[in-house]
Amino acid sequence: MMLIAGTVPAKELPLTLTTARTEDESLVVDGQLIPCTQGTTATISAALATTSYLGRDAPQILLAGDIGQGKGSRQIYEYLIEHIAELSPEVLVLHYWLPDMRQTKRLCEAVNKCPRRPLMIADAASMYSAKAAGLASEFDIFTPDATEMAFLADPKVTHPAYINRHLFDTDITRTPRLAEAAYHDNSAAKLLLVKGAIDYIINDGNIVATITEPDIPALEAIGGTGDTITGLVAALAYAGLELAQAAIIAARANRSVGQLAKVTPATKVRQVIARYPDVFRENLYQRGSTWHWKE
Amino acid sequence: MAFFRKKPSFAGDGLVLFMDVHDAMQAEKVLSRAGYLVKLVAPPPELRRGCDLAVAINLVEQPGIERVLKEKEVGYVRVTPLKAGTEGILEIVKITDFGDWTMVKAANMKLTFAKKSGVIVNTSGGGCPDIPQLHAELIDKPLTEAPRPRDVGFTLCALMLDRALEECLRLWRGDETE
Repeated sequence: MMLIAGTVPAKELPLTLTTARTEDESLVVDGQLIPCTQGTTATISAALATTSYLGRDAPQILLAGDIGQGKGSRQIYEYLIEHIAELSPEVLVLHYWLPDMRQTKRLCEAVNKCPRRPLMIADAASMYSAKAAGLASEFDIFTPDATEMAFLADPKVTHPAYINRHLFDTDITRTPRLAEAAYHDNSAAKLLLVKGAIDYIINDGNIVATITEPDIPALEAIGGTGDTITGLVAALAYAGLELAQAAIIAARANRSVGQLAKVTPATKVRQVIARYPDVFRENLYQRGSTWHWKE
Repeated sequence: MAFFRKKPSFAGDGLVLFMDVHDAMQAEKVLSRAGYLVKLVAPPPELRRGCDLAVAINLVEQPGIERVLKEKEVGYVRVTPLKAGTEGILEIVKITDFGDWTMVKAANMKLTFAKKSGVIVNTSGGGCPDIPQLHAELIDKPLTEAPRPRDVGFTLCALMLDRALEECLRLWRGDETE
């Protein structure tokens, strides 16, 4: 089972463990329509599109409403800490929530007591709290963008708002140096998928791939297109792909869908997600027991 | 038999500093009542300003916490990260020209508007729980009519989105670069 946990901007949504389906560019969660926009809903929608194409079961989702005051976040932390061993997911994706170092530490301790350790993926503020708590190396995959990569490389800070201005004032080509610093300080997951004009796939400190084509700069402006990469890589890893290969395909798929959807900075992420099945049909194929991307 | 409920342990990564002890104690009370997990602590000597009592906070909640303190008229000197050597909040922004659109990036947050209409077409980046809500509230609004993330958000991500909006407003109004 793949489990995606995170908050959604539906203040009244109680803590909910369920599966979701998509309908008219929204997610249907226990009969409630939640718009697919930036955040956890974009990740879930991308994961759903991918598992559906690959013929795998849909992800389980653990959601709670939270618009920044932390109540829903705390419910998710507590539920996971208490139930992660019995849930026993193969893949655990942690996404939007209020970063809390103490709760992240408790969660990592609970995960380490699981009979079978899940593949741990963090993006958004769950990645912030993992790094801030000094627990980044407990995770298998992080999916930072260029600024978040600078945050991982800055040993002093617990949120990207406080990163050193010299680290912010750099471009994506500095990623190898920043990644080296992050790995040195135990502030990186085992595999980093760094999103930007150049996508870097870095495994245990070694750059295993860079992806630059197709070049779709507008994707950076579209809220949620980083979240979709997390959903893609999680679903591909859940389907059994080796992690670096899953990351490479996720990065390529995101660029290709941007090209196919002819995105502009005004495009909405739901319009991007709607085109994933087309991109998969065109590029993703099965050979033997695994999946490949058409070169 | 008496029952005692153990207060959850808390180790914040930020401090609110005060001039006098009364303000610190008042702040702890109003912030706890507002639902924030906080703790009275002695600030390290290098951060001490005024009194020798501070309130430890989860730094990511800084904007919401400062708003509560101002609403309740509790005086404080400033909020600071606990880790020694941390610089202040990132002030610089980056601007990307997309032809018909301009994107402004402040730390991890980006806001994009249409040059002709001044309408916000997208926000991206971040990861705190108020960001998807702000995304929904800002999209398709003219820059001049959009709610300020610093007023309606709660986290450092919201504060950075506000910085981006502030710069977009400056560009839209044609203010001179400093």
